[in-house]
Amino acid sequence: MKVVVDEEHKGQIPATINKLSFLSRTLNNRTALLYLLPSIVLFSVFVFYPMFKTVYLSFFLTDLQGRPAEFVGLENFQYLIQSESFHKSIKATLLFVLYTVPISIVTALFLAIIANEKLKGIGVFRTLFSSTMGMSVAASSVIWLFLFHPSIGAINRLLSIFNIQAIEWLVDPSWALISISITTIWMNTGFTFLILLGGLQNIDENLYESASIDGASFWYKMRRITIPMLSPTLFFIITITLINAFQTFGQVDILTKGGPAESTNLIVYSIYREAFINYQFGTASAQAIVLFFFILIVTILQFKFGEKRVFYQ
Amino acid sequence: MINKWVVYPLLMICSICLIFPICYAFFISLMDGGEILQGQILPKSVTYQNYIDAFKSVPLLQYLWNSFIVSTSVTIGMLVVSSLAAFTFVFIPFHGRNVVFFIFISTMMIPWEATMIPNFLTIQKLGWINSYEGLTIPFFALAFGTFLLRQHFKIIPLELYEASQVAGLSQFKFFYKIVLPVSKTSLVTLGAYGFLTTWNMYLWPLLVTSNDSVRTVQIGIKQLQTQEIATEWGVVMAGVIIVIIPALLLLFLGQKQLQKGLTQGSIK
Amino acid sequence: MKKVGYSIIILWFVLIMSACSEQTSKNELTKTNESSEDQRVGTKDGDKTKVVFWHSMGGKLQETLDSIVNKYNQSQNEYEIVAEYQGSYEEALTKLRSVGGTDDAPAIMQTFEVGTKYMIDSGFFEPIQTFIDKEDYEMDLLEENIINYYKVDGKFHSMPFNSSTPVLIYNKDAFTEVGLDENKAPRTYSEIKEAAKKLTSVNGNVTDRFGFSMLTYGWFFEQLLATQGGLYVDQNNGRSGDAENVLFNGEEGLRIFNLLNGMNQAGTFGNFGSNWDDIRAAFQSGKVAMYMDSSSGVRNAIENSPFEVGVGFIPHPDNMEPQGVVIGGASLWLSKGIDESIQDGAWNFMKYLQTPEIQAIWHVETGYFAITPAAYEEQLVKDEHSKYPQLKVTVDQLQSTKSQPATQGALISVFPESRQQVVTALENLYQGMAPQEALNQAARGTERAMEIANRTKNKE
Repeated sequence: MKVVVDEEHKGQIPATINKLSFLSRTLNNRTALLYLLPSIVLFSVFVFYPMFKTVYLSFFLTDLQGRPAEFVGLENFQYLIQSESFHKSIKATLLFVLYTVPISIVTALFLAIIANEKLKGIGVFRTLFSSTMGMSVAASSVIWLFLFHPSIGAINRLLSIFNIQAIEWLVDPSWALISISITTIWMNTGFTFLILLGGLQNIDENLYESASIDGASFWYKMRRITIPMLSPTLFFIITITLINAFQTFGQVDILTKGGPAESTNLIVYSIYREAFINYQFGTASAQAIVLFFFILIVTILQFKFGEKRVFYQ
Repeated sequence: MINKWVVYPLLMICSICLIFPICYAFFISLMDGGEILQGQILPKSVTYQNYIDAFKSVPLLQYLWNSFIVSTSVTIGMLVVSSLAAFTFVFIPFHGRNVVFFIFISTMMIPWEATMIPNFLTIQKLGWINSYEGLTIPFFALAFGTFLLRQHFKIIPLELYEASQVAGLSQFKFFYKIVLPVSKTSLVTLGAYGFLTTWNMYLWPLLVTSNDSVRTVQIGIKQLQTQEIATEWGVVMAGVIIVIIPALLLLFLGQKQLQKGLTQGSIK
Repeated sequence: MKKVGYSIIILWFVLIMSACSEQTSKNELTKTNESSEDQRVGTKDGDKTKVVFWHSMGGKLQETLDSIVNKYNQSQNEYEIVAEYQGSYEEALTKLRSVGGTDDAPAIMQTFEVGTKYMIDSGFFEPIQTFIDKEDYEMDLLEENIINYYKVDGKFHSMPFNSSTPVLIYNKDAFTEVGLDENKAPRTYSEIKEAAKKLTSVNGNVTDRFGFSMLTYGWFFEQLLATQGGLYVDQNNGRSGDAENVLFNGEEGLRIFNLLNGMNQAGTFGNFGSNWDDIRAAFQSGKVAMYMDSSSGVRNAIENSPFEVGVGFIPHPDNMEPQGVVIGGASLWLSKGIDESIQDGAWNFMKYLQTPEIQAIWHVETGYFAITPAAYEEQLVKDEHSKYPQLKVTVDQLQSTKSQPATQGALISVFPESRQQVVTALENLYQGMAPQEALNQAARGTERAMEIANRTKNKE
């Protein structure tokens, strides 16, 4: 560190000035390199290198040891385009994102708003609301596996009290994805709630007070003050929830293993299954590349339309 | 703001819905095998046998400790690496900054599962199987973290940087004396996120560990279940409770700090 | 104040970092401590050869296995077995695939029966026939049916270990309640259908109890196919060469799908998904009166059900002589290219596992079969069987199996994938897809996987 400090003293020139001497220009490059070095090394080893390998493998059929054995060009991709089960996978993934992201955010926002009231004992509720943050995927999924149990699970037993026919949560293809979504939303709530509550508390009280003096309604304040002021936090949490939704794995593995009738075979799970159970690294890699482009598109869209609306204080 | 007689019942209902699964798991952990399969919700008689069995079959405390070490190391490593990178992108104008930044961000889209096998082979070559290094170092660099912090650092006025340089503050001092404190909110948020994601990992720890020395709790829970032979759900639930109690305790105790971290430090 | 706070954070960081490295070294310390402690137990000279054993036995199974391993380690001074849990069979195989042939590979590897072909083709393992020949070891003492499965091309590649077969489990009280003979388990398809119809009880539009159910798992389909003498794939079930075509979508397979479809349409079949524990809970809570389970689940069903439990053979079509069942479970593989003394230790341990005493313990504690029939003569097992006479049925079914390619079981390297295809076919069937169409879909999926496997195999 000492060296860096000394060098910086030499280059005490405001960065914005155009007429930089050659030495200080390279100085900036060198410092940047130094600061970025840990990231660059780690990314190269653990992200780019495997990614190139994935791209490479996607043009091959692999043998039982997972080594590339036969170059097939785009055959893996052609197969995916025709494969009905891959279509199902994409559909399930998109539906899953659609089910979980908005509901997770709206639920957590609702909880954050009611927990933001200054009431007696509100701390207890805040703690309870954030409690699912301490639950790991493995632990939560095991619990929900039991709650969803067709014959002895608590949910169906509660339903039977109200004389509603038992629902085959994880067995019926039309319910399974919903069940996985419920579990996911539940697990998301704690963290999302906490972040949004933090965001709400950062909003200046005076804004609300002056609005109240003007006689603004609750919904007006919500629309005009809360949401805009919360937008950076919302943007952050939406990005996280989206990426996590696309990469959901643990719940599926424990609750349904992609079934019934492939209705919960989300892409990441499908990749896992193709690579780790069927030993088809070629097809798995091709799927990974498709998923990559999916997330890329969604992220670009989100940044394009989302970030404009974000209101920085 | 809202009438408190509306808020209190709402708070109550929501809390019950949210914590019911946890309570349910707790009840099941107190039942014996037959009772569970009859589908009781509340235990008729209380037995602690499941807890004894859970401790007996899997070294859960050791696993918890490992999980804690791994998650904490990843959190810290990630914060250091990401904040350094984010700082560079905001305050150091270097050639090709935008290109490099874009390349960084693109790694956010790569699903981890897709890179798992090559990564496993790398870890094996490095001799990091069954070590904390294998469990932590691959997660130190996080594009998302860099991105988040960059967004926050951008709010810091460039004049501040110039002023600090005029005042003779070195770049690095400016970084840890001004930039970091001012961005506390983001750092805490990112830290919490990193800690949780690491805590939740299952497949990777299973791959890179083959004995109990550095295994994490998620594997422990799986280990309590069986495939063909009947799983003893009471024991599994006892394991689940044992695993979540420290996490919940940590959360309850640290909640005030976390809250503070999330609210203070933003620039007005 | 802020300054102080930050120096604390930095200090903390430094501390944690040093704590981490300390922790690792401490761990290494405890590791060596542990091992030296282990070495002190049961040995005087303290230089036992370590033999690493990877397995997938979770929960209660792990406890039993660990205690057997301990027993072995204390019984002699030469070898020390280190048993390590590696997740499910699939997860363990994933890992093995990456470390196979390197120093990180275990000496003994446990793999499920459908991985047999894959393991042989991988070339990572020494056929145990080598060791059998070396010392003229007597393998004929093993259960015949088990020998039939694991003997490939006249050679033993792996040592059979935990073994099970499917059985029909039924609720005797419910049988009496609806006027069926509780001591006579239904055997043919029409008996099953009829019994299921009687046993189903509907209340309004809610079915309180289903007559019959089967776990949505490829294994049961394979068994129902084998008992009809039906082959899963060509080349004598893949035993006389690499299979190329699927046969399970022929008439035998269609019979099974038609049976299930018929009962499902009639509302007498309950679908409880693909989780072993779910279907068992359904039976034990009285939601289903008959279901197919693994022989290893029998004792648990008897113990946990609040009613009398009967056990029968698996069903077969009318007017047909049943051929029996295929063995399921897992076997132990011995790594190639490792130190000879380690191999000897592994082989020694495998032989130890086969002794009637150990098999008796294993059978009684876990419910898996004893692979050595002599174990059934042990007092421990006799007591158990007189306590649970139903267990005898499982042994009878296994021993009355006729040896032929169908009951030997199929050998294909892509079996795990094929099982998934069958599961999807069953799920589609329950959702109303036509039986033949569902089967054909699974057959096409399996054939594609086999084709790729054969294509890439020939490239080497």
